[in-house]
Amino acid sequence: MRRVLIGTIGYFNLRDYSIGPHLLVQLKNTQWPPGIEVDEMNWGPIAIVQQFQSLPEPFDRVIFLTARACGRFVGTITLRHWVGGLPDEENIQSRISEAVTGVISTDNLLIIGEHFKIWPEEVFLVDVEPGKEEMGETFTPEVEAVLDDVLEIIHELAVNNSSALPDFEEMKGNELLI
Amino acid sequence: MCFKNLPIEFDQQGNATLLKDVPNPYDYNTTTLDGEQDKLKELLARNGFIKNVDFDPVTRVAGALAFHSVVDLKNREVLSTNSMATLFRGYEIILKGRDPRDASYISSRACGVCGGVHATVSALAMEMALGITPPPLGVVVRNLLLSLEYLYDHPLHLFLLAGPDYSEQMVTLTNPSLFQKAKKTPAKFEEMHGYSTIGEIMHDLNPLTGKLYVEALHMTRVAREAYVLIGGKYPHPQTVVPGGVAVTIDISVMNEMYERIQQFFDYSKKVVGIWDDVFDFFLESNPEYEKCGYRPATMMDSGVWDRPGVYDASYKNMTEWGKARWATPGVLVDGKLVTTDLQRINAGYEEFVEHSFYEKWDGQRFSEDPAGIPLGPNHPWNKETIPKPGKQSWRDRYSWDVSCTWDRMPMEAGAYARLYLTAMAQELPESKFLRSTGHSLQIDIPKSTLPGGTFEWKIPKMWNTFERNRARAYAIPYSAMVCMENWLLAMELLKQGETKISTPFEIPKKGTQMGVGFWGAGRGFLSHHLVIDDGVIGNYQISTPSTLNAAPRTPWGEPGPYEEAVKNTPILEEFNSADDFKGIDILRSIRSFDPCMPCTTHIMVDGTDKMVTREVTTCACGVE
Repeated sequence: MRRVLIGTIGYFNLRDYSIGPHLLVQLKNTQWPPGIEVDEMNWGPIAIVQQFQSLPEPFDRVIFLTARACGRFVGTITLRHWVGGLPDEENIQSRISEAVTGVISTDNLLIIGEHFKIWPEEVFLVDVEPGKEEMGETFTPEVEAVLDDVLEIIHELAVNNSSALPDFEEMKGNELLI
Repeated sequence: MCFKNLPIEFDQQGNATLLKDVPNPYDYNTTTLDGEQDKLKELLARNGFIKNVDFDPVTRVAGALAFHSVVDLKNREVLSTNSMATLFRGYEIILKGRDPRDASYISSRACGVCGGVHATVSALAMEMALGITPPPLGVVVRNLLLSLEYLYDHPLHLFLLAGPDYSEQMVTLTNPSLFQKAKKTPAKFEEMHGYSTIGEIMHDLNPLTGKLYVEALHMTRVAREAYVLIGGKYPHPQTVVPGGVAVTIDISVMNEMYERIQQFFDYSKKVVGIWDDVFDFFLESNPEYEKCGYRPATMMDSGVWDRPGVYDASYKNMTEWGKARWATPGVLVDGKLVTTDLQRINAGYEEFVEHSFYEKWDGQRFSEDPAGIPLGPNHPWNKETIPKPGKQSWRDRYSWDVSCTWDRMPMEAGAYARLYLTAMAQELPESKFLRSTGHSLQIDIPKSTLPGGTFEWKIPKMWNTFERNRARAYAIPYSAMVCMENWLLAMELLKQGETKISTPFEIPKKGTQMGVGFWGAGRGFLSHHLVIDDGVIGNYQISTPSTLNAAPRTPWGEPGPYEEAVKNTPILEEFNSADDFKGIDILRSIRSFDPCMPCTTHIMVDGTDKMVTREVTTCACGVE
């Protein structure tokens, strides 16, 4: 059976930045076909590495839902394919230092996972451009407007082979800024 | 005399009163920082260099701490230091007006590493406020959780955060001649760790690839696995509640836990040997290293690990149950023990906001504690958190942290304070594995695959960067053996059928109740002060180790512990020009405190326009 993990990443109560934790409940309550799991992935990249290393059966595909500020229009959804690559060791060590001390960061998780070689070939990000970083439980209208699209894309990625989806952008670890 | 500076005196029976004939007993002088800054400005000008420095934290994380220093590379000295917390976290405001039962869960989120200790200290404050005494097994289980949290935290600090500063990679970059020497220097404790030279140890301290680094990652997992057996999850446990714990303990869980605890017996021996070797090597190679991170041994600790049957949560008996802890609470001033009495520790603690982005609050709600000891307006039970963002100025306000003092002296906090005070106080109740000698703490470690033996952490002559970290290494066997002792106690209680793990309670809808939790994070002193008004939280004040250590200047101009330690640090790094300067001595000094915030260090090189920026990331806990 094909094993797929849908993981949400992000702090709570940071408006658009919290799209992951916000949609987690809905994703968990969805009736998924067998083999698809949904989990919050905020509990520390090192702990996640250790959990992946101890899995009796690895995942075939991992899909992360996250909001990363990349200078796009607010509410833009970008599908990214993690293709590996690592920054220099000083950069990796900085990210591990952050990770073991509780910082939640999609980039840290991807890079640390890559360093410890836990990722399957198919790691995808559903990455939404957030508005201004501020406290709150609501979304900007732009992000509010794309929530259903986000869920639909995740569903497509998890259940199908994503042929119906737009092009993916490649994401490389050695090109991420710290 | 307990207090030298606060206006409190004690009679022969120990009853406290305010000093007579002092018109405004809690008044204090406020000194401007202008003189210091003017002098610095003049110095910089004489060197042909005046520049406004942008102190943006330069970290992708919502930077919580930045550290600024001005360094004279020619004379190899630090001219000026400022520690600034750049983030307002607001937990105290979030908690106000809430049901007190929320406090454990919400305050636990104050830290991404030490969530368990925040949950527990919050439960302790509730227990005091509401008069709840947990059953013996509840107390013992909390001790187990705490020691397991430390067994996660100490290796993390020693090998993942501070360790790389002493690795081959770093030392070859910053002190190449020292590494050449290390390669030829035999290790004294090879039988404990298996390395024949210091150079080999440094090689395995390399980040990411070093065997010691990778092994520490593994050991943090072992500790975490043991923790979640009873904590449910980590770092924010769901089973810590006022009145005890909410989990069923049985022999099978205890056996699973033991399987993990015993892995720390051998690991303790190895870690102590490694760090004794590394730090002895540095200090013997160049005695100037003794001055790195130096400050007088002026520190405080709240003590941890309660004795079942002694701990009753009451303020009245706090002195007794505090002294019965496996780690003795206390205050040291310049290496001298001043008190081990938790009531006096509480009464002497104050927070000031003159150099912080807060408004001074009006009034003083409590003039004395429940035992009748006078309290000042700056005591946490009286303090209010009123944020007041503003322009950052080294002359005025520059931090979201507050200035914390005991008896009007800045205090250092750390896991090492736990060892220091316990070793010196000789108040440790009878223990199967630990002895306090007045000048050392002896720890018996059982045989495992390595032979058993006694480790002795000795109070050092000079308090500095290396001794902070060395004590942290000894904190692993200390925590492991307290864990073992509590494991044995838990088994005994289970055998006797004492399986009750919590005491039910209700929150009164009317009236005022107050409590304080004194506990310890992996990196030291932790307190939560709580006031409940008519069933909801009326005031909540959190003090973490980094609140103490990262403090800005006192109103009367004394530097906080980071500021003082870095100011005293000589520059021993080898470099050819300002461009090569890495600031390793400063970084080692800050990291020896295990700074509990994503911290960015800025080092301004005097006479140049060079600013070195290095991250000193540890955990995201800390300031208000």
